[in-house]
Amino acid sequence: MIVLSEEQVQYILEDLEQKGIELEELRFSLLDHICCVLEEELNDPANFQDHYTKVLPRFFKRELREIQEETELLMRFKNYYAMKRTMIISAGFTAFTFVTGALFKIMHWPGASVMILLSIVTLCFIFLPILFIFKTKETNSTREKITLGVATVFGIVISLATLFKIMHWPGANIMWLSSLGFLFFVFLPLFFFSGIRKKETKLNTIISSVLILVAIGLLFALTQLRSSKWTDFQENQTDLQLIQLTGLAELHATDTMPVSNELKRKANELIDQITELKKGLILHMNNGEQAEVSDLLRDLGKEINHTNRFFFLESGKPRPRLIELKENVKSLYSMLSTPMQEKATVLNTENRKKYNDSIEQMISWEEDMFSYVTFSNALRKLNQLELAVHFCID
Amino acid sequence: MYSSELIKGTLKTIILKLLTENEKMYGYELTQKVKDMTGGKIQLTEGALYPTLHALENQGILTTEVVNVGNRLRKYYAITPSGREIASEKVNEFTDFIATMITLLDLKPNLG
Repeated sequence: MIVLSEEQVQYILEDLEQKGIELEELRFSLLDHICCVLEEELNDPANFQDHYTKVLPRFFKRELREIQEETELLMRFKNYYAMKRTMIISAGFTAFTFVTGALFKIMHWPGASVMILLSIVTLCFIFLPILFIFKTKETNSTREKITLGVATVFGIVISLATLFKIMHWPGANIMWLSSLGFLFFVFLPLFFFSGIRKKETKLNTIISSVLILVAIGLLFALTQLRSSKWTDFQENQTDLQLIQLTGLAELHATDTMPVSNELKRKANELIDQITELKKGLILHMNNGEQAEVSDLLRDLGKEINHTNRFFFLESGKPRPRLIELKENVKSLYSMLSTPMQEKATVLNTENRKKYNDSIEQMISWEEDMFSYVTFSNALRKLNQLELAVHFCID
Repeated sequence: MYSSELIKGTLKTIILKLLTENEKMYGYELTQKVKDMTGGKIQLTEGALYPTLHALENQGILTTEVVNVGNRLRKYYAITPSGREIASEKVNEFTDFIATMITLLDLKPNLG
């Protein structure tokens, strides 16, 4: 009697799979049996291949797959065929309506919502429950049955959460978050610890668990992460400046002091310069192509969204045009009356205090106004500057 | 050696009976045991054995235990209490069947 080598055992296992033994448990049973026969009957290890091809036909009449088919047949239950057909039809229906629905939604064609609704309802209440029944019939371990149950519940909840999110129905976020939490804290540990107990499923379980973990992370990042703190800060800051402008406007309405010609000339120069910069910004957004500015402005709503960042000024790299702007703002500011200067904080070009992660920093005026600012915020700030200048002279 | 049709009808009875007498057995062991006990007259075909074993396990009549033997896994089968009842029912039924067959076919039992 000889003992088969690791390679020979692996060879038989792969051959069995190739010959149509898809049920894992059956494959391992047959493998052990064939190995026993070979180890009993084989005298010379060199004859392994020959003898294996001779032994195999004892297991069937026509082909090896018969054993698989016979096993499946014996393991079937009442309504097996009807349920199987329903499952396949519902799967096809779900896939088709979902893809078509998504296409309709992208194209803004009517009927998209109905299709998506139908597909997800079919998935949750027909396909997944039947799949659960089939899968639980294949196993005897209570632990695995519980895992399957938990997986099915998760599948249903996350599909419904997706539906709620697509439809903008209330409660979508809480459903989505709770299903991700459920996946992370309940399903993943259960799946992992029941899977690694069995030798034959250990590796697959580890790989699948890592994939599930990555998927949770991606889904979470996709739906829960907000735009950066920096963008939020910039938005707030521009709003704050707008409020400051109203103070200037009020002062302007009550101030009767005559405006000097020198101041008017300086202010108009500044307004022209700001307009130039704004035009430049818009043209830059259009990849530098020369186009009618008015056309661009009309399209601005479509072109610019909050993800389309434009950094007007990179940190530490002041552009000459901005320095020129700063100088002009500075000289205009020096011509203003004291109460005006107090209100026109936007025009004060002194270095500014800024809090970054609660650390006080001094940064330059142009950096404060234009570094790491989105395109739309840069445009807003220029508008505010222009308004402030108008309030000083008109 | 008997024809496979004859064996097929009694396969379940043979498996259950053997497992009531032995604590746990694996597939190959079952076939060898039957072969030895019958002097090679009855040989369980693997093509019928494994589907039946899996079905019995699925119905909860048998329990299994997977053991690592050298470089492969071996599945041991053991009978459950409900399986024992079924086994004795099957054996009784078969004894009765043989008695009926003897009468039907008018056979003289060979007492020699």
